[in-house]
Amino acid sequence: MSSRVIQTLILKDWRLHRMHILMSLAAGVVALALLQVKGESTFLVGTVWFFVSLIVLGSMVPVSNVVNERKKQNLAFLMSLPVSAVQYAIAKMASTIGLFLLPWGVLVIAASTFVMSRADIPKGIVPLMLILFGLPLVGFCLIAATALVSESEGFTVAATIVCNSWYGLVWYFIIRNPAINGDLTSPVPVWSPTVLTILTGEAAAVALILGVTFYLQSRKREFV
Amino acid sequence: MSDLAIELASVVKTYPFFTLDHIHLQVPHGQIMGLIGPNGAGKSTTIRILMGLVQQDRGEVRVLGRRMPAEQIAAKWDIGFASEDMRLYEGMTLAWHMEFIRSIYPNWDARYAQLLLKRFGLRAEQKIKGLSHGQRVKATLLLVLARRPRLLVLDEPTTGLDPVARHEILKELTAVMTDEGRSVLFSSHNTQDVEQISDRITFIDRGRIIDSMDKEAYLDRWRRLRLEVPSGMALPALPGIIGIRQDGRVAVATANAFAPDMANAYESTGARVKSIETMTLEEIFVANVEHSREQEVEA
Amino acid sequence: MSSSFVISQTDKRPIYLQIMEQIKQRIAVGDWTEGQAIPSIRQLAVDLQVSVITVKRAYLELEREGVIVTQQGRGSHVASNPGLGMRLQQEELEKHLEQAVRLADLLGIRPKDLEARLRETGDRRMEKEGEQV
Repeated sequence: MSSRVIQTLILKDWRLHRMHILMSLAAGVVALALLQVKGESTFLVGTVWFFVSLIVLGSMVPVSNVVNERKKQNLAFLMSLPVSAVQYAIAKMASTIGLFLLPWGVLVIAASTFVMSRADIPKGIVPLMLILFGLPLVGFCLIAATALVSESEGFTVAATIVCNSWYGLVWYFIIRNPAINGDLTSPVPVWSPTVLTILTGEAAAVALILGVTFYLQSRKREFV
Repeated sequence: MSDLAIELASVVKTYPFFTLDHIHLQVPHGQIMGLIGPNGAGKSTTIRILMGLVQQDRGEVRVLGRRMPAEQIAAKWDIGFASEDMRLYEGMTLAWHMEFIRSIYPNWDARYAQLLLKRFGLRAEQKIKGLSHGQRVKATLLLVLARRPRLLVLDEPTTGLDPVARHEILKELTAVMTDEGRSVLFSSHNTQDVEQISDRITFIDRGRIIDSMDKEAYLDRWRRLRLEVPSGMALPALPGIIGIRQDGRVAVATANAFAPDMANAYESTGARVKSIETMTLEEIFVANVEHSREQEVEA
Repeated sequence: MSSSFVISQTDKRPIYLQIMEQIKQRIAVGDWTEGQAIPSIRQLAVDLQVSVITVKRAYLELEREGVIVTQQGRGSHVASNPGLGMRLQQEELEKHLEQAVRLADLLGIRPKDLEARLRETGDRRMEKEGEQV
């Protein structure tokens, strides 16, 4: 029964965000098209386009999916349904992250297809790619969690700004790490302990964020 | 399973500037309970607590036999809740909302829903943002009524509605009573509505329950006595009288515990009873609140 | 059956009294006859959009006055009581007379003068009927 209600809530969120989903797919198609055209500059443009769309589309989601529901007073309507605060949080995090996974997934698939299809690109960059793609995912989970738990648009926007501005710094340090950039030119992917630790760390960070979110949500004593 | 649809016992909830103080409330199955009180009295807070949306600091809450908020999920399957600050999704149609509710609740009655659409003058294909305030209220109530829940909890269901819409809502609320197993709790500023359709009335002011009882018995306890007083005499306040207004020789006494021999008692003090009038719930409301505030000042 | 019942909001009397009066009226004019079944308490409550408890009170009072009879599980019906109609109308008259006396008193009119007024009213009515004939 409960899982059915949670499912209904997730689908409801995706239905409300159908425009976002369409735009993500469109952005992905455009980027893919750009990548097909041979040439350094289009590759660069394509990559930048990707990241920008990813960040823009991703940033809008926590506010439009999480904060607005409370701001527009839809929350009372939802909490009158047979759900607990924790179940609501589960549905909300799932739908929010799902909405992010769409543009993110398109990026990953497109980039991976591109790297795999081009013989002149050393496959050694695959581990770095995965690490780099993982970062916005972790960042997004953090922003979504902040939106849900803080119930504040201000905090959410602040978290979005902080996360987005730290990506550059983190990427810089990861790329400079010799344990990673040493294997970039290798023809096959190299799964060094450092790489595996970082990837595991990213997954663990997501799990931790979700766990803390559900815990904090269960402790709340007021929902409207 | 308890024989009460709603039971609050010694419920306390403390906020920085407001406290809900030892609330006792009982609504038997098959009855309509009207909750009235001034703004800020605690009506909405009480309702949120019994819906499990707000957790009480102390006290027991049971709704349809379930403890709240611990068993709120189970309870909410059988409760239809609508509050004044609740909003539907602006960008979606009423039909979408109906389908949304139908996909969750197994006892959605599609035929009754269509009937309500007609009675309320609503069009399902219309987006919520295109509806007037009154239509939105009716839309929200339709979503709740068409499920035929065992308990309806409504916070200000007729506030801001035109007289025709109010009449339509009251008609549907009383129609619920054909099923003896269903109950309603509603809060309202409109004392006329409460007086008309409630079986029981609860008065709340400043976080405290002032009165909670059978409506007919309650109305029977209140009378307004118009008297002529001998020159120079101040009309005494007999037991059961909570307020006296006197201007010269003409006096009006308000009784909240009227007894038939009160007229004789006054006659024997020298005053002449010109008439004894029943009071509307609105008049009782005002007299009650004024009286309880005077008492607070004295205390 | 109860579709013509109307609860007036400007009538200062309690709703249960209005219900009682309208039921008695239907019996007095003969629309509702002895032994005839009348709407159940719940049904009337729904039809009039008033609380069940108000209708219950009206029915209890009517039963106490011997106007209706309620049987557990079988609903309510008009009591079988010859002269009931007359008694009801007598009650009506008594009520109106009491009201007239009270109003006269408020206006400072003494019972003797009230008598005169009553006769005047009766004469006026006969005149009107005379004209119609």
